[in-house]
Amino acid sequence: MVHPYEKEAKLKDGSRVLLRPMVAEDREKLMAFFQAIPQEERIYLRHDVTDPEIIKSWTERIDYTRVFPLLALAGDRVVGDATLHRIPYGWKRHIGTVRVVVAADYHDRGLGTLLVHEIVELATEFSLEKLWAELPLTAPGALALFRKAGFSSKAVIEGLVKDLHGRNTDVVIMVCDVGAQYG
Amino acid sequence: MKIAVIADIHSNLEAFRAVLHDLAKESVSAMVNLGDLVGYNASPGECVNLAREHRIISIQGNHDRAAVQPRFAEGFNILAHQAVLWSASALNPEQKSFLDSLPHTLLLWDHYLLFHGAPDNSEAYIFYLFQAKKAFDYMRKKMPGVKIAFFGHTHHRALWRRDVRGKVQSLTVTQGIMAVDPEEMCLINPGSVGQPRERQWEASYLIFTTDPPALEFRSVPYDLRGAQTKIREACLPDYLAERLAKGV
Repeated sequence: MVHPYEKEAKLKDGSRVLLRPMVAEDREKLMAFFQAIPQEERIYLRHDVTDPEIIKSWTERIDYTRVFPLLALAGDRVVGDATLHRIPYGWKRHIGTVRVVVAADYHDRGLGTLLVHEIVELATEFSLEKLWAELPLTAPGALALFRKAGFSSKAVIEGLVKDLHGRNTDVVIMVCDVGAQYG
Repeated sequence: MKIAVIADIHSNLEAFRAVLHDLAKESVSAMVNLGDLVGYNASPGECVNLAREHRIISIQGNHDRAAVQPRFAEGFNILAHQAVLWSASALNPEQKSFLDSLPHTLLLWDHYLLFHGAPDNSEAYIFYLFQAKKAFDYMRKKMPGVKIAFFGHTHHRALWRRDVRGKVQSLTVTQGIMAVDPEEMCLINPGSVGQPRERQWEASYLIFTTDPPALEFRSVPYDLRGAQTKIREACLPDYLAERLAKGV
């Protein structure tokens, strides 16, 4: 499989990763990546990513116009996954939703910021005007990461979601004005 | 005097030719290109040659610079990155040398400022009010007396005015001739020839008349299928072909 496009990027510690969209052949690599994500982080995801059928469905039904999955690879290993979700019609057609997961050993190395920056840049290519992200108020590192990439907090919804222990937790809504990033 | 203003051709030979064909009916004194001759689409060398043949007054865009100095492509997103590296591989040394020789900005006939993104940065955009204000402030400080500037990069047609009291506002771009108040400052974007992003696919450009100052935003159809086929034949990302039809 020829990857549609790719780009090498450097992290804060000087190590390099390859950025490229997910392709069908990434199934095994993605499975290994998600299975290594700790349970306390998996709670933020929308699907049970430890279920091989979920990963299979993602890799078999790739549609970049609805979901653009951007992978970061170190050698042959997936170390980060950022997705840009789009709604093709209606009043939210100019808004993309961003989700990011980074391997534990790649935390604090600038990979999350790099991936979110790349998604912000790609949003201009997809004619998106706003990007939306939902983050737990209890994750200051993730909030700072999105802030660095140009997002700002727009609302806090108290007690909206459940944490791992079933406790209600606050959610921060962050929005990025894509065109305003390049002034 | 009539001037044709074009921008963001982005290696779309079919769109570029259609604009030149449309312009053949006009008696324009000069043609100016606001940068990004190359990148994204599949005919970079042909577009450079055509711009030179027609003696189009050109400035350098961020994609032109990245095609000749690849370190500047590192900050591009993966789509633009892939396309500009492909452009670089398709250009011959003479074409690269031409792109490399282009200025970042140009003051035309001491009256009209040409820049790609913002007057001080070819990668910055003018989409929002604060960005337009920043550009006007730069012009007032660095080149007092210059009232009209042309820019590209956003792939969106735009007309910003700064009135004599200093109020900045965006005007709605309309069909037909739009008069420009000679006492006011203006920032004008003709839209993109080769990759319009206003949800319409036709190649956009502008006719500017100097005396009295007036604008006419235009768009012309072109051989869209031909441009898309070349993108696919070049194995560039398929999205680059799809977006041309959607005008995004």
